[in-house]
Amino acid sequence: MGGTQKKKFERGSATNYITRNRARKKLQLSLPDFRRLCILKGIYPHEPKHKKKVNKGSTAPRTFYLLKDIRFLLHEPIVAKFREYKIFVRKLRKAYGKTEWSAVERLKENKPTYKLDHIIKERYPSFIDALRDIDDALCMCFLFSTFARTGKCHVQTIQLCRRLTVEWMNYVIASRSLRKVFVSIKGMYYQAEVMGQLITWLVPYQFSHDHPTDVDYRVMATFTELYTTLLGFVNFRLYHSLNLVYPPKVTGEKRDVLSVQKLAALSASLARVVSTAEEDDAQLDAFPTEEKVEAREKEQMQLETQKKIFEGLKFFLNREVPRESLAFVIRSFGGEVSWDRSVCIGSTYEATDETITHQIVDRPNVDKSYINRYYIQPQWVYDCVNAKVLLPVEDYFVGVTLPPHLSPFVEEKDGDYVPPEKLKIMALQRGEKPGDDDDDEEEENDDDDDDEEDEEENEDDEDEAEEKNLKEMEKQKSQGKSLQVKVTPGKMKMENPVRLEQEEKAEEKRLAIMMMKKKEKYLYDKIMFGKKRKIREANKLAAKRKAFDDTEKAKKKKTKN
Amino acid sequence: NSSSITFNKTLLKHAAVSQPGFLGLKSNVKSSELVSSRRKRVNKNKKKNWNRHSDIHDVEDFLEDIRHQERTTGGLLSEKPDDSLFFLDVEAEPVKAEKGKRRVQRPLRIDLILQHDSMVPAPKNVTAYQQPNAKKLRRIAQRAEQLAAKGVLPRRQRHLLSRRPAEKTVKKAEANNNPDRDFYAMWGEEKVTDSADPWYLQQTGKKLVQRPEKLNQKPSVLPAVEVIAPGGSYNPDFLSHQALLQEAHDVEVQKQKQEDKLQRQLAFRKEDRATEVQTIISAVAACLYEDEDEAAAPNEDEADSALGAIAVAEKKTERQRKKEKAEKMKTQQQQASRRQTERQQQLFQLRSIKSSIKQQELQTKARQMKRKARQEAQKALPRRLGKLKYAQDLEVQLSDELAASLRQLKPEGSVLKDRFKSLQKRNLIEPRERAKFKRRLKVKYVEKRAFRQIT
Repeated sequence: MGGTQKKKFERGSATNYITRNRARKKLQLSLPDFRRLCILKGIYPHEPKHKKKVNKGSTAPRTFYLLKDIRFLLHEPIVAKFREYKIFVRKLRKAYGKTEWSAVERLKENKPTYKLDHIIKERYPSFIDALRDIDDALCMCFLFSTFARTGKCHVQTIQLCRRLTVEWMNYVIASRSLRKVFVSIKGMYYQAEVMGQLITWLVPYQFSHDHPTDVDYRVMATFTELYTTLLGFVNFRLYHSLNLVYPPKVTGEKRDVLSVQKLAALSASLARVVSTAEEDDAQLDAFPTEEKVEAREKEQMQLETQKKIFEGLKFFLNREVPRESLAFVIRSFGGEVSWDRSVCIGSTYEATDETITHQIVDRPNVDKSYINRYYIQPQWVYDCVNAKVLLPVEDYFVGVTLPPHLSPFVEEKDGDYVPPEKLKIMALQRGEKPGDDDDDEEEENDDDDDDEEDEEENEDDEDEAEEKNLKEMEKQKSQGKSLQVKVTPGKMKMENPVRLEQEEKAEEKRLAIMMMKKKEKYLYDKIMFGKKRKIREANKLAAKRKAFDDTEKAKKKKTKN
Repeated sequence: NSSSITFNKTLLKHAAVSQPGFLGLKSNVKSSELVSSRRKRVNKNKKKNWNRHSDIHDVEDFLEDIRHQERTTGGLLSEKPDDSLFFLDVEAEPVKAEKGKRRVQRPLRIDLILQHDSMVPAPKNVTAYQQPNAKKLRRIAQRAEQLAAKGVLPRRQRHLLSRRPAEKTVKKAEANNNPDRDFYAMWGEEKVTDSADPWYLQQTGKKLVQRPEKLNQKPSVLPAVEVIAPGGSYNPDFLSHQALLQEAHDVEVQKQKQEDKLQRQLAFRKEDRATEVQTIISAVAACLYEDEDEAAAPNEDEADSALGAIAVAEKKTERQRKKEKAEKMKTQQQQASRRQTERQQQLFQLRSIKSSIKQQELQTKARQMKRKARQEAQKALPRRLGKLKYAQDLEVQLSDELAASLRQLKPEGSVLKDRFKSLQKRNLIEPRERAKFKRRLKVKYVEKRAFRQIT
């Protein structure tokens, strides 16, 4: 008994954690300053596994930080800046109170500021680490750039965010890295592939502004502070990797207010550091052909073609469509785009230009004064990008009910339900034209329905004719009569090599299944049962969809009639 | 001559006056001096007595007289010219001074006080005008003048002119969110601190503190941006939209269930409340059964006590003990033999035993997998980091809210809120609520006197 007895909560996990208030007192900072510091340095609260041990027996919900992290925070030079700022505020308030305006001026001129460059270097020691975290940064910067400049949050932050997002979009256009676009009710999701990293970000709509009250703006502003710095450095590095001038300049122009606005309009091409006559596409070295290398080459070729789907096409955007998003997407895939001069600066050609191939319209009806251009709705552009192939324009004409906008972020596995629209797109990707039957079904005309019925009847007739023939022949044979069959020169049956391969494979599979042992067969049956269940479910969903489509058709017929 | 005569006279006077006990006319002599305490004979040859007992007041008076003359008249009267002392009055009778208001202005007393009261001028302070090295400095200045006249500049001025103008290196501290701030190459270029000797860095205090390894791990496995389900498209496919609606419906159903559960737990049970009829019946029944119970109860008590008395019985006999022992042994033997036969039989039950063991193993493995799966799922959930729990809301548009075209699309939810929730979900910040305004002291509403009269 006495001093050698072990006391509770003096070792182990209880000493590894520290509560938020204790940490704050250790650093001698106020709570908002402490929060800001933690966000900037990337120090997050942890939930201990055994809360009772750490909380010294109570289960009250407290915020815990690791003691090592807080000790690390003590070495941060920004902490001194925070304290300086607090003193600055106090002096400024005093000067205001005493109406000493010269002192106010002097203090404001010497306002203490801090820079976050060393924190970025510490948190992201290599460029790839920074690229991995750039999703969050992009989302925040895009979000803040859409804020109104009322002064609630620093207008400078908003301007900086706008500048950085414009730079990023220009980079994506120049490097053709955009891969997927998804237009959702929340905002627009984009995915780009930069230096092997897939980067997804969300851009809010320009016209949605309900500022919710339960969001902590100070926290968001601190995150944005950090992320703007990060994005700026990443932009610098990306621009230099493409040999472009940073801060970006329009080719052949000085960097002034007008040219900056032109950059923001996303229609200008960027100036390069070293002017190259040809594009430096890295050519794959010619290795001795192996299977994998071939496949990779194929992929590379495919990718190259996908990057240029809009090349050669000229677009014109009407006033009511989202200009920036469409300009960004179209230009990322090689197309040319322009808009009305009164909408924004940077339009390259007018609506009266004869060489325009597509005009993007979103009104219920439009006067089509030009014959050689298609008037289509904006969803065509997004769907083409997702399908990586130019889709038929007919489905997207003005006034037509659009096909659903599918999400490119969904990867369907074997056996899952695939919506029929996606099947069509996959068929298009493979190069097959959509079947006539499908087309006929989609069109909502009575004539077409009649045609369809006629066609079906025709098919039935053909089948019936064949059957009749056969029956007759059999009858004749049974009657012992010699058939009036002539020896005609044989028709060569074209063997479909693909079909042959498939048949062979199926044969092999069947043999293998027969040769399995009982136990293995038992396992195999179980697996197939599970798979078939999926297929059954998919069929169920397809049937549901068909039912829905039929009801829709019936409704439309009724309305027409 | 007159002065010498007066001098001799005064000498005589002095001789007489200096005798002790001399009584003059103005006998304002003090009584102490009458009875003089002086020695009659003093030795005037000693140096001590030259100062004490020499009588020079006649000389002093003479000198005082001379000084007085100099103070008042500016020099010895004997040496003054006659014109300054005397003048011939040849002016006519003075005209009567004009009476009247014009009086002679007397000088101010303060001016009188401040004037010099003696005609002897103050001596000049020579040291005030003395300059050390005056000659040398004068010589140097002359030489400089000569050189300047020739055009040669002193060395200091030449240096000043040849110095470069001072470059103003005061850089104004740039704020971090300045929209025109420039960025530089951060990755791929080594700074001094990276390449320098670690010992040097440590000794000079320039070594950077290492970031703990744990901070480089992400606090959550979730991706930064979670794309909404395909039913959230602005023009969704029918089935995916239904799936999304189903999810939202499930969430609402769960919430409703929770509320119902609460309501049920707090609800008042019907059985607890007795209706009027029941109360009467129960009261009557109580009365009826009361008499019977009273009769029955005492009998039972007696019987119980009797039995209890018998139970405290005699000790066990030897026989009984032996019997018990034998029985015990028997049962033990039986059990042992049974166990042995069981063990022997188990040999033949090996197969079934094996199968049962396999089953158990399978079960434990299944449970392990489940637990692992649950742990993995737990990782994806948001951790409890503070007082509030994480609450997720789904963004979904009902079928009649779906837009016909991109132009008519009304965005659902706000990206700001979505980002905020995502940060909470990924354990970067703790869930927070807006601080409510709590009053420490209750507000008391008092009507104004005027209103009190009305109401």
